[in-house]
Amino acid sequence: MPNFLTFSNILPLAELEVGHHFYWNLGGLTVHGQVFLTSWFVIGLLLIASLLAGRNRQMVPAGLQNFMEYVLEFIRDLAKNQLGEKEYRPWVPFIGTLFLFIFVSNWSGALIPWKLIQLPEGELAAPTGDINTTVALALLTSLAYFYAGFRKRGLGYFAKYVEPTPILLPIAILEDFTKPLSLSFRLFGNILADELVVAVLVLLVPLFIPVPVMMLGLFTSAIQALVFATLAGAYIHEALEGHGDEDH
Amino acid sequence: MFDFDATLPLMAIQFLLLVFILDKVFYTPFGKTLDDRSEYVRSKRVGSQERLDQSKKMAEEYEAELAETRKQAQSIVAEAQAEAQTLASAQMTEAQQEAQGQREAAQKEIDQQKQAAMATLDQQVDQLSNQIVEKLLSAAS
Repeated sequence: MPNFLTFSNILPLAELEVGHHFYWNLGGLTVHGQVFLTSWFVIGLLLIASLLAGRNRQMVPAGLQNFMEYVLEFIRDLAKNQLGEKEYRPWVPFIGTLFLFIFVSNWSGALIPWKLIQLPEGELAAPTGDINTTVALALLTSLAYFYAGFRKRGLGYFAKYVEPTPILLPIAILEDFTKPLSLSFRLFGNILADELVVAVLVLLVPLFIPVPVMMLGLFTSAIQALVFATLAGAYIHEALEGHGDEDH
Repeated sequence: MFDFDATLPLMAIQFLLLVFILDKVFYTPFGKTLDDRSEYVRSKRVGSQERLDQSKKMAEEYEAELAETRKQAQSIVAEAQAEAQTLASAQMTEAQQEAQGQREAAQKEIDQQKQAAMATLDQQVDQLSNQIVEKLLSAAS
């Protein structure tokens, strides 16, 4: 997408740069540097919070420990609701990290004024606003549910493609492609659209007017994280149970 | 916008690393804390339930003992009252008999003295009447 709002040079804070990336070359591979910079920030935040909270765990929690325990209970509930009491425990780290990474990424993109940090090219934003990140997460989710299915039922996992009737085989196969596609594009589209709307509004009216849209962005960001994690849990559950074609 | 490159696999690897590291520093230790706590609360609850039952049983035992003791005390009091009653009535009858005896003795004495007095009176009456008779006879002669 071209940098269509070139007149925004009057307001350096309100610049729109979609499709411009801060490229790094790693031995012939090009990567988007800005995505990694913010994702490292997000990962660092998560690790620091966990380490700080876990430094001195008490039987009666207080402060940060209490908060992180609340987070863990929330994630456990989420995984338990999707996978059921019996199966959920091994999947808590995966689903929980999906939720935490996406949630912190989205909110850091919405709350932290990354644009104050100048890059040679492109701009810092939520890592989830880059299609590479969301596709990576969605493909990992696909791998996760295939792994879950094969681990639980071996090659019998393929039976779910012809159950209840082989007529639905093409649809069942198609589902394996639509699942990661919808997961990744839903997240990517929501986050990028939110950033664009806020950027455009800030460009037009720099004060106050964008605030409600920003709040809405925070809300949708949280919802998208929840949706991604919940759907990942639902897909894994489906692979474990093999109830054929539940369409989500 | 749809600019796929090496970011995708590297991000996936990075994410998997994050899953493993967070599992080590967050999910496992915090989950252990949560499980330990719920286990602790459960065991404490069971223990206190037992102790509550025990103390209830003990209270019941003490109550039964108390009732028993109270009954004993009542029977002792009743016994003592009966004893005192018989003692008192015995002493009463004895005293009544004694008083009766004294009264009878006094009555007897009174009767004797009355008879004696009557006898003396009779004698004096006889004497006086003899004297009267003698006086009348002497006057007439």
